Amino acid sequence: MSELALSLQDLVKDFDGKRAVDHITFTARKGEILGLLGPNGAGKTTTMRMVMDIIAPDSGSIEILGQPFSEPLKDRIGYLPEERGLYRKLKVLDTLLFFGELKGMKAAAVRERGRKLLQQFQLEAYEDKKVEELSKGMAQKLQFITTILHNPELLILDEPFSGLDPLNIELVKDIILTSKREGTTIIYSTHLMEYAEKTVDSLVMIDKGRKVIDGTLAAVKAEYGQKFVKVQYEGDARFVAGLPYVRSCRDSGREMEVELDDISSRDKLLRDLLGRLAVNGFQLSEPSLQNIFIRKVQEGAGA
Amino acid sequence: MKKILAVVKKEYKVIVKKKSFIIMTVLTPVLMAGMMFVPVLLMRVGRTDKTIAVADYAGGYIQALNAKPAEKKEKKKAGVDLDAIDQQKALREGGGRITFQAVDLAGRDAAALVKEFEQKVLKKEIDGLLLIPAEVKASRQISYYSTSVSDFATLKYIESTLRTAISKQLLLEKSIDPAVVDEATREIDMETFKVKKEGTTKSDSGMDYMMSLFMIVILFMILINYGQMIMRGVLEEKTSRISELLIASARSTHIFYGKLLGIGLAGLTQVALWIVLGAILVSRFSGSIDAAILSFLTPEIALYFVVFFTLGFFVYAIPYAFIGAAVNTDQEAQQFAGVLSVLIIVPYILGISAIQNPNSTLTVVASLFPLFAPILMFMRITTAMPPLWQIAAAIGLCLLTIWGLAWLGAKIFRVGMLMYGKKPTLGEMLRWVRYK
Repeated sequence: MSELALSLQDLVKDFDGKRAVDHITFTARKGEILGLLGPNGAGKTTTMRMVMDIIAPDSGSIEILGQPFSEPLKDRIGYLPEERGLYRKLKVLDTLLFFGELKGMKAAAVRERGRKLLQQFQLEAYEDKKVEELSKGMAQKLQFITTILHNPELLILDEPFSGLDPLNIELVKDIILTSKREGTTIIYSTHLMEYAEKTVDSLVMIDKGRKVIDGTLAAVKAEYGQKFVKVQYEGDARFVAGLPYVRSCRDSGREMEVELDDISSRDKLLRDLLGRLAVNGFQLSEPSLQNIFIRKVQEGAGA
Repeated sequence: MKKILAVVKKEYKVIVKKKSFIIMTVLTPVLMAGMMFVPVLLMRVGRTDKTIAVADYAGGYIQALNAKPAEKKEKKKAGVDLDAIDQQKALREGGGRITFQAVDLAGRDAAALVKEFEQKVLKKEIDGLLLIPAEVKASRQISYYSTSVSDFATLKYIESTLRTAISKQLLLEKSIDPAVVDEATREIDMETFKVKKEGTTKSDSGMDYMMSLFMIVILFMILINYGQMIMRGVLEEKTSRISELLIASARSTHIFYGKLLGIGLAGLTQVALWIVLGAILVSRFSGSIDAAILSFLTPEIALYFVVFFTLGFFVYAIPYAFIGAAVNTDQEAQQFAGVLSVLIIVPYILGISAIQNPNSTLTVVASLFPLFAPILMFMRITTAMPPLWQIAAAIGLCLLTIWGLAWLGAKIFRVGMLMYGKKPTLGEMLRWVRYK
C-alpha cells in the first residue's frame, strides 16, 4: 500500500440529486505525475475537493499517502484550488509567512525557502509589495509558491495552467517536473489535453462524473495502437470521413487526424488523397489524448 | 494550536498596520481631549454675546433683567463669590453675556412690533425679541421670538428673573421690608454630588451624562467597526476563494477562532492605547481639566471598558462572521449587517433612558440580557454602580452566549465559506449546523 500516494475507491457525490461523481476509482503511485483529464464539468474539481476533505463523498473511500484523511496530512499536501485567491492587502512575504505557518512551518524556514522560491519565480523584488499591487501573472506565481512552499509530498493542482500566459505555463511545467524529480507525487487536472500529453505518467479521463479511461500514458496509447495518420493538406477534405476504411477523422482545416480501421489501410488513404488534395505531409502518429477521449465518449454514448 | 496562532498573527498584523487603525487610535483621544478642553477654552477665548430686544409693556422689568450682575456684586460682599459661580455656570452652559435692550414702544401695539422685529431677527440685527405684556403680573404670560428657541440657559434666565421680579413686586406692594423681600427671592444654586463606594465626589450631572454618553458612543462605534471588519474579512476570503486554501490547510474551527482572537486582540490593542494616551493626557493637563471629568475617568471605568468591549466584541463579532460566511456579495452583507446594527442600537437607545433611570426594572433586566449587556451594563456602571452580583451575572451570561455562538459559528463558517453562488435560506443554514 505504501507504494500508493493516493487511492480512490468507488467515490460517489451527488449535488441536489445530480450525480457529479459517479463511482470513480483510481490510484496514483508515489513519485508519478497523474493527469485527471476531462472537459469542464466532468467532475474533476469535485473529485479533488473530496480528496482534500473540503466536501465529503456520499460513499466510497479515499486514502492519501497510505492512510485515511486526517488533519496532520494537510501539512504534507500542497493544494492549488481551481479558483485562485490571496489576501489583497497582505504583503508578498507576509502571505508566504501566513500560508507557511498555516502548514506548520517555522517562520525562519518560511523566510528561507520563501525567498529562494521568490527568486526562482523572479518575484524577489516584490517581497514588500502588497498582493494587490502585483500583476495577474505575478499573483498566479505567488499562488503557486504558496502551494509548494512547505515541500509537500503530494501536490494536488486543479487546472494549474488556466489563466497563465505561455511563459508561465512553461514555468509551471518546470516546477511540476522539478517537484517530480524531488520525489513529489503530482496529481493535476486539466481540460487541455495537449499539455497533459507532454507531462503525465498516468492519466485518468472522466466524463460526466464517470471514469472513461485510466492507465499509464504508454498503455493508453498502446491500446489505441498505430492506427492514426496525421495529414497536412490544402483543399476540401470533407470526403475523407466518408471513406469506408476511415473510422474517424478530426479535421482542423489544414491538418487532420485520421483513424483507420487497420494500419494497412494507410496506403489506400494516401492514394485516395493524392488525386483530390494537395498533401503537404503524411505521417503515422500516436493517437492524441484528445482523440482517444472523443472516441471513448462517443463509444460510451453509442453503447 | 500553532495554526490558530498563525491565523491570529496574520489577522492582527493586517489590522494594526492599517492606516485607519493608526488614525482612529490617535484621533479618538484627541477628540476626547477636545471634549475636556473645549469648555475651558470657551471661557477663555470668548463667548457668544447676545442682544435681546425687550418690549416691556408692563414697565420696569428691563431693569430687573439687566440689573442682575450688579445685584450680584453686592452679594459678593456677603462672602459668597457669586461671580465665580455665575462664570462657571455660563461656561458650563456655553453661553455668553446677554444684553437686554429696551424697545421704544411709542404707542405701537404688540402685533406691529412683532412684525417689525421678525425682520430684524431674520437679518440677525438682533438675537431675539422678548414681549412682556402689560398684564403680565396676572397672566404670567410672556413671549419670546428668536431664530433659536432651544437656548435653555437664556430662556431659564429670563423666566426665573421675571418670576423673581414679579414676586418682589407683589411682596413690596404688600409693604414688606425690601431686605426681607430680597432675602425671600434669592436664587438657589444646586450642587450635585455623586455617591460612590469609594467616597462621594463633587460631580456635575451634566458632565457625567456627557462623559457616559461619549464612552458609550465609542464602545458602540468600535463594536460595530470590529464586527464589520470580521464580516468583510470572511467575505473577502469567500469571494477571493481563499477559504478553500484555508480549509485545505487547517481545521475550520481553528481558522474561525484564530480570526476572532486576532481581530479581538487588535481591538484590545486599540483600547489599551486609548487608555494609555488618555492617562498621559489626564496626568499632564490635570490642572486644566474639569474636576468632574477627572472624577469620572477612574482606572475602574477603564477596566470595565476593557471587559465590556471584549465581551461585546465576541457577542457581536460572531454574528457578523455568520453574515460574512453566509452571503456572497458586499451588498447582501451590508443588508444583513444593517439588521445587526439595529440590534446593537437597541441597548444604546435603552441606555439613554438608563442614564436617567439607572435602577429601573427595565434597565436592570435589559442590562443582563447578553445581547444588550456589553453596552447597557457598562452604561449603568458609568452612571450608578449596579450591585456586583448583577455585573457578575451579566458577564457570566455573556460568556455563556459567546460559548454557544462560537460553537454555532464554527459550523456555519465551515459550510458557508465553501458555499458559493447562491444565497442560503434560513433552513439551509440550520441544516449546516447539524452537519458533522
